[in-house]
Amino acid sequence: MKILAVDDDPIILELLTQFVASFGQHTLLTASSGPEALDLLSGDNAQTFDCFMLDIQMPVMDGMELTRQIRALPAHAEAPIVMLTAMSEKRYIDGAFGAGASDYVTKPFDVVELKTRIEVIDRLVRNRKPKNTKIFAANTLNEQLRADADFIELHAPISLHDVENVIECNAMENYVAQLSRSSLFGSTVFAFSIRKIDGFHNALSAAEFKFLIEDIAEIISDTLTGRQFLMSYAGNGTYVCITESGWRPDMERLTDQVNLYLNRAHIISNTGQELHPRISTGAAIRLVWKSGDQILNALGQAQSSAEAAAEEHERLKTDFFQFGRTA
Amino acid sequence: MTAAAKLEIPGLDRIRDRFVDMLGDRKTTIAQHALAAWDGKTADDINANLTAARATLHLIAGTAGTVGFPELGHSALHCEQEIIDHLDGPDAVLAVCPGEIIWRIDDFVASCNKITA
Repeated sequence: MKILAVDDDPIILELLTQFVASFGQHTLLTASSGPEALDLLSGDNAQTFDCFMLDIQMPVMDGMELTRQIRALPAHAEAPIVMLTAMSEKRYIDGAFGAGASDYVTKPFDVVELKTRIEVIDRLVRNRKPKNTKIFAANTLNEQLRADADFIELHAPISLHDVENVIECNAMENYVAQLSRSSLFGSTVFAFSIRKIDGFHNALSAAEFKFLIEDIAEIISDTLTGRQFLMSYAGNGTYVCITESGWRPDMERLTDQVNLYLNRAHIISNTGQELHPRISTGAAIRLVWKSGDQILNALGQAQSSAEAAAEEHERLKTDFFQFGRTA
Repeated sequence: MTAAAKLEIPGLDRIRDRFVDMLGDRKTTIAQHALAAWDGKTADDINANLTAARATLHLIAGTAGTVGFPELGHSALHCEQEIIDHLDGPDAVLAVCPGEIIWRIDDFVASCNKITA
C-alpha cells in the first residue's frame, strides 16, 4: 500500500515513516503542508496513493480542505483518508468526516491502535483493487459488457462525495464506533428508506440509479439543514443518519418534509420520464446506555426499521386497493 | 505484558533526541508568546499571542506521549485546552489575559527545562 502522510510537525512525519517501514510492505511518502501534498497529486508527474493520513490543523490549508481537494481528484475519490487528530481537535471530527474522511486516529499515537488501523485499511484497499481491475478489463469489451461492469448492486453502499454531511458507509461505522461516552448521551440514529427501491433499480441504468440516490441524499441533507448530523447511504435505498446534538427528530414530520421536497424536486430520468420517489422513515434510536457492538447494531436497527416502514407503506397501499375484491 | 503491548517504533531513540532538540526552541517560542500575551494591551494582541502559543503547544501535545514524555504531553494539552476555552469564551473580546493560563504555561516551561537541561 502506498500512503501519503501530511503533517506540519516533522516529528509526526518521522514517527510515521519509521513505524510504517517497520511492518508490512507499505511505502510512505510525506508532505509538510496541503499545497505540497496537492503538488504530488497533480501535474505531469502526479502520483497515485492507496491511502492518506492527514493532520487536521495545519497552516495555509487545514486537513478538512485538503480532504475535499483530494476527494475531488477522480483517482482518489474513493481512497481511505485517515485524519490524525489531537485530543483538542475532537470538535473538528464531524467536519472532517463531512469533508470525506474515512477514519481518525488520535495523537499521541497508540502504536498498537495505529498498526490495527493500517491493517484494516490495507484489507479495504486490497478488496477494492480486484473490482477496479475488472472494470479496466471490461473497457476493452463491447458496450453491453461495459454496462454490466457499471452495474450497481441494489444492496451495495454507494459513496456520495458531493453532498453536504454525507460520508461513506465504513466511515460512518468508524465514526460511531469511536463516539465518546458523553457524546452517546445526545446521539440518535435514524434512517430514511426509498419506497419501491427495487422498481427504480430495475428500471434505471446504473448511472441513473446513482444520480437518483444522490438527488435524494441532497434533498434529505437540505431538509436537515440547521441540524448537526452525518448521513451515509447504506444500500437498498436506505440512508442512515446520526445526530449528536441532543436533537430528537420527529420522524413523521421529517417524512412529510422530505416527501414534500421530493414532490417539488421533479426528478427526471435520462429518457425524460418524471420519477416520483418517496421515502419512509423508521424509528429514531437513542444511543444512550449502549456500548460496543450495541452501538453498531443500532445503525442496523435504524436501517431495518426504515426499510420495514417502506415495505409496510406499500403493503397497506396494496391492501387498500384490493379491499373487497376477495371473497 | 502481551506481545502487542511491546510494540515499539524503531529508531525511537533518534526521534526522541530530535524532539528534545526541538523542545528547546519550542518552549522559548511558547514562553515569549505567553509573556507578550500577558503584556498585551488589546484583545487582538493578546489573542494573537495566545493563538501562537497554542499552535506550538499543540505540536508538543501530539508527539510527547509517543516519544516517551506522556506527562509533558498532558501538560501541553491542558495549556492548549485552557487557551482554546478562553478564546472560545465570552472573555476573548476583553483585553485580559487570564493569569491561570500564564501560571500553567510557566509550569509547563519548567517541565520542559528539566528535559532539555
